[in-house]
Amino acid sequence: MATEFKNEEELVKKFLNETTLFLGPEPDFMQDHTLASITEREKVAIRNADPSVLSVTRSKMQAGTNESFEMLEQIGAAPGAKWGDLISCLFTAKGDLSIVSSGGVLLFAACVQYGVKYIVKHWLNDPDVGVKPGDIFYYNDARYGGVHNTDQVLIMPYFHEGELIAWISTIVHEGENGAVEPGGMPSAAEQVYDQGLAISPIKIGENYQFYKDIVTFFQNSVREPKLMVVDLKAKLYAALRIEQRVAEAIEEYGVDPVIAVLRKTLDDTVDEVKRRVSQWPDGTVRMMGVADSTLRENCLIKVNLELKKKGDVLTLDFRGSSPEFANRPNNAVTSALKGTLGQLFLSYVWPDLPRNQAVLAPMEVIVDEKSVFNPSFEVPNSQSMMTMWPAFSVTQAALAKFLYNSPEKSTNVIAPWYNMITTCIYGGVTQHGETVGNLCADLNGMSGGARDGMDGEHSIAPLFAPMAEQGEQEQIEEEVPIIQLSRRIMKDNQGFGQYRGGQGYQMFLTQQDSDFFGFMTTTIGSKYPSAHGIFGGYGAPTYPLCKIKGVNVFDVLKNEPEKMAFTTEEIMNNQPLEDATYSTHHTGLQFELAEEGEIYIITQGAGGGYGDVLDRDPNMVMKDVEEDLISQTTANDIYKVFYDPETLVLDWETTEVTRKKEREARKKRGVPFNEFINNWVTEKPAEHLPFYGSWSDRSVVYAGSTEKIMEEGKLKSVMMPNPKDVQISKLEKEIQSLKK
Amino acid sequence: MKQVSVDIGGTFTDCFLVWDEISLETKALTTHHNLALGFMEALEQACQELGKDIRSVLSQLDSVRYATTLGTNALIERKGPKIGLLTTAGYESQVPLSRGRGYGDGLTPQEQQDLPAGKRPEPIVPIPMIAGIRERIDYKGEVLMPLDEGHLRKQIRHLVDQGAEGIVVGLMNSVINPIHERRVEEIFLEEYPTHMLGAIPIILSHQVAERKGEYVRITSSILDAYLHAQMHYALSSLEMTLKEYGYKKPMSVVHNIGGMAQLNSTHALQTIHSGPTAGVNAAEHLSEDFDVGQLIAMDMGGTSCDIGIVVGGGIRFYDFNPVIDRWLVGIPMLHLGIIGAGGGSIARYDNTLKQIEVGPTSAGSEPGPASFDRGGMDPTVTDADLILGYLDPEYYAEGSIGLKKKRSEFAIREEICEETDISLIDAARQIKKKVDTNMAHTIFKELGVKGYDPKNFTLLAYGGNGPLHCCGIAEVLEIDKVLIPPFAPIFSAVGAGLMNQVNIHEKSVFMNIYDSNTRSLLEDYDRFNDLVAELEMAGKEELMRQDIPETAIQHRLELDMRYGNQLTQTSVISPVNRLSNKTEVLEMAKAFSENYGERFGDGSQQPEAGIRINTIRVVSYVELEQVAFNKPVEGSVEPPKPVSKRECYFVDFEEPVATNVYRSEMIQPGTAIEGPALVESPRATYLIEPGWKLIMGENNSSWIVNEAKIRSKKSLHSGTMKVN
Repeated sequence: MATEFKNEEELVKKFLNETTLFLGPEPDFMQDHTLASITEREKVAIRNADPSVLSVTRSKMQAGTNESFEMLEQIGAAPGAKWGDLISCLFTAKGDLSIVSSGGVLLFAACVQYGVKYIVKHWLNDPDVGVKPGDIFYYNDARYGGVHNTDQVLIMPYFHEGELIAWISTIVHEGENGAVEPGGMPSAAEQVYDQGLAISPIKIGENYQFYKDIVTFFQNSVREPKLMVVDLKAKLYAALRIEQRVAEAIEEYGVDPVIAVLRKTLDDTVDEVKRRVSQWPDGTVRMMGVADSTLRENCLIKVNLELKKKGDVLTLDFRGSSPEFANRPNNAVTSALKGTLGQLFLSYVWPDLPRNQAVLAPMEVIVDEKSVFNPSFEVPNSQSMMTMWPAFSVTQAALAKFLYNSPEKSTNVIAPWYNMITTCIYGGVTQHGETVGNLCADLNGMSGGARDGMDGEHSIAPLFAPMAEQGEQEQIEEEVPIIQLSRRIMKDNQGFGQYRGGQGYQMFLTQQDSDFFGFMTTTIGSKYPSAHGIFGGYGAPTYPLCKIKGVNVFDVLKNEPEKMAFTTEEIMNNQPLEDATYSTHHTGLQFELAEEGEIYIITQGAGGGYGDVLDRDPNMVMKDVEEDLISQTTANDIYKVFYDPETLVLDWETTEVTRKKEREARKKRGVPFNEFINNWVTEKPAEHLPFYGSWSDRSVVYAGSTEKIMEEGKLKSVMMPNPKDVQISKLEKEIQSLKK
Repeated sequence: MKQVSVDIGGTFTDCFLVWDEISLETKALTTHHNLALGFMEALEQACQELGKDIRSVLSQLDSVRYATTLGTNALIERKGPKIGLLTTAGYESQVPLSRGRGYGDGLTPQEQQDLPAGKRPEPIVPIPMIAGIRERIDYKGEVLMPLDEGHLRKQIRHLVDQGAEGIVVGLMNSVINPIHERRVEEIFLEEYPTHMLGAIPIILSHQVAERKGEYVRITSSILDAYLHAQMHYALSSLEMTLKEYGYKKPMSVVHNIGGMAQLNSTHALQTIHSGPTAGVNAAEHLSEDFDVGQLIAMDMGGTSCDIGIVVGGGIRFYDFNPVIDRWLVGIPMLHLGIIGAGGGSIARYDNTLKQIEVGPTSAGSEPGPASFDRGGMDPTVTDADLILGYLDPEYYAEGSIGLKKKRSEFAIREEICEETDISLIDAARQIKKKVDTNMAHTIFKELGVKGYDPKNFTLLAYGGNGPLHCCGIAEVLEIDKVLIPPFAPIFSAVGAGLMNQVNIHEKSVFMNIYDSNTRSLLEDYDRFNDLVAELEMAGKEELMRQDIPETAIQHRLELDMRYGNQLTQTSVISPVNRLSNKTEVLEMAKAFSENYGERFGDGSQQPEAGIRINTIRVVSYVELEQVAFNKPVEGSVEPPKPVSKRECYFVDFEEPVATNVYRSEMIQPGTAIEGPALVESPRATYLIEPGWKLIMGENNSSWIVNEAKIRSKKSLHSGTMKVN
């Protein structure tokens, strides 16, 4: 009977397996960031390996991915490809990310392990799909492992004498993908179906050739069919370059060293991460951050982190963070969150480690189901950065506390990097008659956080790619009808501190020579700072979007040039362009058509400050004054530094006296810790705040008001009303009251 | 032919004198306070060897050519004047922000990965010396905002009051319409005329870099302005000295595009890296002279290794946006791949990957390898070479640096052996293998991105460590022939002697050869032809100013082309210099397609996305008489008696091998020496590894060949191989 029952169970299992409705990404599969179990083949290869041969084999494979990256950067057409938002990489046969190009966005590659593993799981032995040499796979749906659908991934298997030994992938942030708004990152997406192309990992070619019908379908689905075809080919040929180099490595050193390198690099990384973590003092750091909008409405979305270190285990617990948003795209799939954390560790904590996914493998990451970091399958994610980057900053600030006390450091202790993609996403018809939808490389101008002993650097690089860059405006103007009238570093835009964060630049954007062109912006941080300071340093300031409409600035420049101003404070405070309307907004601008000569102003943010402002060397303050980075008000009020405004000669005496007074005043303002807690901490968020996430107790999660409470571990989706409906309703009420 | 070419480096001034059939090489210490002293000393030595007095030689010379690292050194030492920048209002931060990448440009890949800990290089123009001027021109060249002259005068005064000793004007889109830059110059000269004492030089960006890209253009102009005064003074005084000694012609200066021009047709920026590029130029000449086709020129020194690529057929590789020191610039420069590997590269044990790593950190010459005993504690490639028996501690650098083997042993044991539990010899072997492999893989990548396979190349090895590591590197690259060039110790000076007179003029354009939106081919032939004619005229006039007859001037038309909106600007030699029909337009598209296919893989072409020209570039040149080096060697000569036998360790040999040691001056042309062997010369040691053979040529040139590999290639291919 028992045997029969067992058979029945198997029969049911077989039946269910054969009648699967949809091979979507399975939740357990997508949550697992550990390495695949080592295979016998890998064990044998490692056992037989000569360390010196492994070393040169690794060097060859690394050079191959670097060459592929350089090539892809050159021949890709997407702005993302041209300015550094791409990567080339190699995976083990089971799909673990092992070798990554030195340049590019590691986060992309880290997410693709899930895409590769999906192919291994579902298609490798599928009689209809299968995997053979020369096959080309492709996907962009972030739910299968990705940040958002604008990042498109090409994957190819590598076979040696019939044996699958590796996977190759090339990835580019493509921009346009046919979403509800141009540019591939719609903030207006209310459902996954508004996010444009949603390709699950599928085969799109064989024998190194694309299926033309599939390519045509892709082109048919997007606003830039030219970009689609150019970059498909670019990614394919860049992948083939890796394939060629792996083949040469096998010819030169044998297949075993190649297999051994792919696996052993991962195992060695795991061991080293454990060793390094074990050096940190045991303890727990709690940190929170807030995303201040969904890009559609102002609200407070909490990112909650408890970072615990015990022995060689680091646990990153994000429970207590906001519930998911059913109809807003600021949800980050867990793979993207983990990829971000991997990027953080490999760029800001251990830049000397090999770049692969194993850095995170020995760590534990805990997220609540149906939270913004583990959203349901049906919720959109095209603006996942709006919660993912705050998670990055929160973790960065928390890690600084461990690193400060670590006896061994691989790089400097650093305050959080500025974390928002401040740029214009554009769409429309160019001066050359081409339909486009993409973004400007200014997103790469994030400012660096202050370091132990050093200020942060201005607009240095995006937090996700060290050498990604901002490009040349003359070349951008030539391709698209965007004219930037000002790109100056913004005065006083600083994360103050003993060492200050780097400062960002303001952008005056306008369009010229197009009848149909518009902008959108997708950043948070216009109400609540998005990057923290550490050890007493200030966080980034907040930044509004400014609009100057109803005017053609080109007429002003030509006919009344003396009226033009090139800084935000001058033009917005003095309002020198007559007849124009001046307004400020949060920085979640939905796609909006711009008339020629209307001005949109955004600002790249500042990196966080480090240490107490009163400890800042007055000479460093004076250098900032001389460079017009800060005003006299900031020097006097924040840093308590005084000088002769005519000669810029530092007044040491007044400075010392004032600083001393301020220290005394601080002591007087100070209260015992418990007293502070009693006065400061409230049981719940304030009634008027649209707050999402836990407050003082992690197990209680608020969903927009103190009345909407969810239990930790039992979160539900939050549905937001359409802001236009809210506006209409408000106006209707006003009309009703006026009628009365 | 009678000519002198000189390469003034940081330490030595190298001189190459050609006096009809006689070629002579000499060296003197560089005299930084007055370059003419070192120059004249090197020349004096050559004249003595020739048996003539210096005045007599100088008065009969056809030309004096000069390559220098002076500019590079001035930049590193920050010895330039205070520069002020006038730029478009609103764009004052463009230079300080440096596109973001400026924080990492010029750093090693490892340093770039740790960019969060990086620091912006000390600016040449600090922020207070940047002043915005109210004007704006758009990408079409249309004036969006007229120049505010009153405001401009105030800004000029502000910079001069701040102590500006040189002014750069860098305005948006000035290469398309320079009207505002020119007007700024006029006004500046009104305010500060040149005939007054304390006149300040002014440099306009569109005259320094001719392509679009405001940041790289302004940076180029800043560097140019920064180096201008110092280079002008040093080079002019050198020319004056030559004139005092009877030389009557203008001195020629080597340019980093791989050509030369007279001093009065030279921007300071064009001289940067002119020494190493002269080496690549010499390699190009040797590839023809020795009939070896494709060459990898590898100049491996103590800190780094310069790689040049010679493929023949008039094709040259340029960097259109090279990095000079820490600055990305917008002038074309002959491509030089710089690898951070040399004798001073430090070896370490990588705890994560449990393997030995070498470089890119270098001990340099100070403190240098541990064996130099100057305070260096880290094991280096030179230390490993010493342990393996390749270097003679008494004869290194002709005995000027006595190597301390004990120091090398200590450093390797402490840093490597203690971590790995391997023997001293095995550690040294792994260091040697690792550095050779790293170099080979980087060379592989250099060639790979250009679409070439190193197997088809000859390795040209020079520099202090080139002949020592060439066999190991060639093994990994599967190259079977290594050429040690004649006059190797002064190879850059030789390159200067082989330069043609060349200039480059270029223009940014937006020109569709094929517009995929309208599915139409280029029809505006007049626009294209007029632009080419304009650039040819500029090149011609520049050469004619240097007394070159018009009939001797030739032009080569190069086009930077791309598919769709790519970044890549593949430079293609145009098959036609003028357009008159669609067939020629399609020929152009075909030339681009072939070049692109070679680089990125056949089939990767994407004409369906449109084909566009971004830059039109005219190379104007004059072919001058060349020195021939490849003198045939008659018969074969028996090897001389070795000066000693030394136990050497090789990568693939468990046991030490008794290795013959020779001195280069004792080896006659035509001598063949089987490896393993060592040939010591005053400036380099040649390591002929087992399986390789050295064949001595004239002027200390030599071939090092792997005959087994050549035979194996012969059996694979029907073509014949030729070893000179």
